[in-house]
Amino acid sequence: MAIDPQPEAAIPAGGPGAGPAAPEQEGKDRSDYSPWRLAFNRFLRNRVAVAFLVLFFLIVVFLLAAPLWAHHVAHTGPNQTHTVEKLHVGGEVREVVTVEGKPIGPQWLEADGKFFLGADSRLGRDEMVRLMYGGRISLFIGIVSGLITTTLAVILGLLAGYYRGWVDTVIARTLDVLWSLPVLLFGIALGVSLAVGGLKIGPLELSGGSVWVPIFVISIFTIPYVARPIRGEVLALSEKEFVEAAIAQGAGPGRVMFAEILPNLASTIIVFFTLNIANNMLFEAALSFLGAGVQPPNSSWGTMISIGVELLTTQPLLAIVPGVMIMLTVLSLNIVGDGLRDALDPRSKVRLGARTGVAEIEGASV
Amino acid sequence: MKKLGGVIAVLVLAAVAAVGLVSCGSSNSSTGGGGEGKEGGILNATYKSFPDYMDPQLSYTAEGWTAMGEVYIPLLTYKHAEGAEGSEVVPGLAKEMPKITNGGKTYTLFLRPGLKYSNGKPVKASDFTYAVERAFKVNSGGSVFYTGIAGAEKFAETKSGGIPGIKTNDKTGEVKIELTKPRGTFTNELALMFVAPVPQGTPNEDLSANPPPGTGPYMIKNVHPGNGWEYERNPYWAKDNSKAMPEYPTGIIDGAKVTVVRNDETQVNDIEQGKYDWMQNPPPASRYSQVKEKYEGSQFTVEPTISTYYFWMNTTAAPFDDVKVRQAVNYAVDPSALERIYSGQIKAAHQILPEGMPGHKPFDLYPHNMAKAKEMLEEANPSDMDITVWTDNESPNKEAGEYYEGVLKELGFNTKLKVINADNYFTVIGNRSTPDLDTGWSDWFEDYPHPNDFFQPLLAGESILQTNNGNFAQIDEPSLNQEISTLGEEQLGPEQEKKYAELDKKYMELAPWAPYGQRTLDTFVSSNINLDNIIYNPTFFQYLTSFEFNE
Repeated sequence: MAIDPQPEAAIPAGGPGAGPAAPEQEGKDRSDYSPWRLAFNRFLRNRVAVAFLVLFFLIVVFLLAAPLWAHHVAHTGPNQTHTVEKLHVGGEVREVVTVEGKPIGPQWLEADGKFFLGADSRLGRDEMVRLMYGGRISLFIGIVSGLITTTLAVILGLLAGYYRGWVDTVIARTLDVLWSLPVLLFGIALGVSLAVGGLKIGPLELSGGSVWVPIFVISIFTIPYVARPIRGEVLALSEKEFVEAAIAQGAGPGRVMFAEILPNLASTIIVFFTLNIANNMLFEAALSFLGAGVQPPNSSWGTMISIGVELLTTQPLLAIVPGVMIMLTVLSLNIVGDGLRDALDPRSKVRLGARTGVAEIEGASV
Repeated sequence: MKKLGGVIAVLVLAAVAAVGLVSCGSSNSSTGGGGEGKEGGILNATYKSFPDYMDPQLSYTAEGWTAMGEVYIPLLTYKHAEGAEGSEVVPGLAKEMPKITNGGKTYTLFLRPGLKYSNGKPVKASDFTYAVERAFKVNSGGSVFYTGIAGAEKFAETKSGGIPGIKTNDKTGEVKIELTKPRGTFTNELALMFVAPVPQGTPNEDLSANPPPGTGPYMIKNVHPGNGWEYERNPYWAKDNSKAMPEYPTGIIDGAKVTVVRNDETQVNDIEQGKYDWMQNPPPASRYSQVKEKYEGSQFTVEPTISTYYFWMNTTAAPFDDVKVRQAVNYAVDPSALERIYSGQIKAAHQILPEGMPGHKPFDLYPHNMAKAKEMLEEANPSDMDITVWTDNESPNKEAGEYYEGVLKELGFNTKLKVINADNYFTVIGNRSTPDLDTGWSDWFEDYPHPNDFFQPLLAGESILQTNNGNFAQIDEPSLNQEISTLGEEQLGPEQEKKYAELDKKYMELAPWAPYGQRTLDTFVSSNINLDNIIYNPTFFQYLTSFEFNE
């Protein structure tokens, strides 16, 4: 494919917002600030992004408080069953699960916080405790798979974009093949098969049922969505004078890629990483909903929706609450990601891909 | 027989004392039990999954047996009735019950004259031999029932040369079967669909897409594998077969159309709206209470089964090689919790033989006591506390597995839960080379109403197989193996029933299983159908011939 000689997404050397590509719009005294400080100031002026950053922070605090709630309020663990137990609420005895298998509904604070959101299923597990622990797993999977995806995607993008030629052909076409697969179907197939037998490739060993299985599946399948735009940007950056200057000074490929080009990708990588976490959380929820993600007895928000759907007509909160939590988390990450993009590189056109929900760079030839 | 919910599973349910269940529609009339409804009509039915096979020699699932129960009639069959009466073996294509001679080793039957297949070909005595040989040739899961026929074991290996233990005379219709040793269950096994005659020349391959001709009142047409099939009346039934076997019901409806709908919530909605007339599978647990409350008596009825649900423990490896550990687990499992997990569709029990099975005598050696369980486990002090717990992914078995894993964790084990797709669950845990087969969930529904069916395939040492293993606990106790073998050779009577009851207790003392109950299933129909007329048979479940539209 043709390489755009002047991609709009190209970021000059010196960091985000710096250089001639980032005109000074913040006032004359701002020239004393570092590019990162300028970006930080721009982000703070984006009230919506800041509000959602606070919301994300609150969600994280809520999830981190899971052991406290479980130990001091609910007095139960996320996987502990209470099928035959009874609650004593104001002189009234309530069964956690009736003989017909109907779980208790939300008790709010009537039972001193026990079964705040009710029981999750016929197993009589505390929905609130599972929501908090499940969210930790969902977020953990999102962040770790986001890290893996971004790291691998940056390495592949750098290699393909810098070396070009057959290296580029092999990497780009492999990514094309991966991109062309029906991600969810393939993810389900892989998730289900790995959930049974686990995975062993050389030193890498994943036991079935481990949360590393969905992390592995999600990481592999989302690489193209990040690696391709990174590659496009590297193609553009490698044409720049500062790269030619480094080569002229005798810098080897490793130094050029990692010391010259990589720092210029920093803002893009940060934005991609943020958006990738949100996207991966949605992917995890879909896999878990379909039984190919987080395996029982552990919960994630996806598995909780899957269990809650069975009782949608009688206890809709069981599906709605984890659904709302996913929505809020993903929304906050997306808006924060957009805010970071605007702050780090006001001229870039990194946007959410309509097809995938993953960031893409407009103008970069891939 | 088998497990409910797995591909290799067959439920052959038996009705526990049909107490309270009115079998208004027993097969007295020529149509087979017409009630107050109308003759004719096409039944719109739905199954949640397509049967494993639509081939009489191959099918070994509840769906398959229900689907083909009125299409392929063996030499012997089960009475068109509910409960204990429906467990009675009666002549099918044979004129009368077999004459058993030579110390229980020779069975002689005579085919009824004038029988025809649905393609017009006459039924011959030698077709029985063909059917038995075909079962071996297509590697049917049910062929194991017939390896006791003289020469059958060799035939199973070579697939050629015939089975010398079966002699037939097409002129007289005589079928003579020689067994290598007496087999008390053989009459029941002759009533299984695995040996229902099919025309000679029927290809020795899976014919699910185009099932072979049968002898019953209906025939199967237009099979769309995975999606559905249809029934039409067998044109030779009215002309020939119904005259040859007048006690067999002809059926009230003219035919049926079956559609596979994989979402059971949708099935319930469709039945409520009258889009379908009958769903073969039970409503999902999440809708069970609502359906039961709203429709019981008018469109819904609970059906008893002869089944045992249990957790098995691998007795050959630590920590479950210690009987004290297994007994501790039995004390820890609370059947009343599992009753709730199954939405009340499990009747709590703590023994191997279920209610309704001859030899059943209620007892509970391990009433739920978690404190005692912990104490016993402490005494046993097992060296290995890392265990893997297996279950399938179908609700509520999945939840039962999760509950069990939680109980074991509470006892102090380091547990890992493996949830396997129900389609291949029993294949995975039945393969002894699968790693970490420590403990897990299973169920068992009777193949036929004989207590041996709960011991021989599940607990006898000789049933421990490398693949398709059914003895998941891998228990191999020589003295009890001998008892199973000896009892299996005897015809069932009061003395044998007493011995089976003792055997039940002896096994529970060794605690290879932690049984927790007996399942009920259901019949759910639309308001168009006369619920009272439907016969729920322990072996074939709902008989197609008993469906009737309301006026």
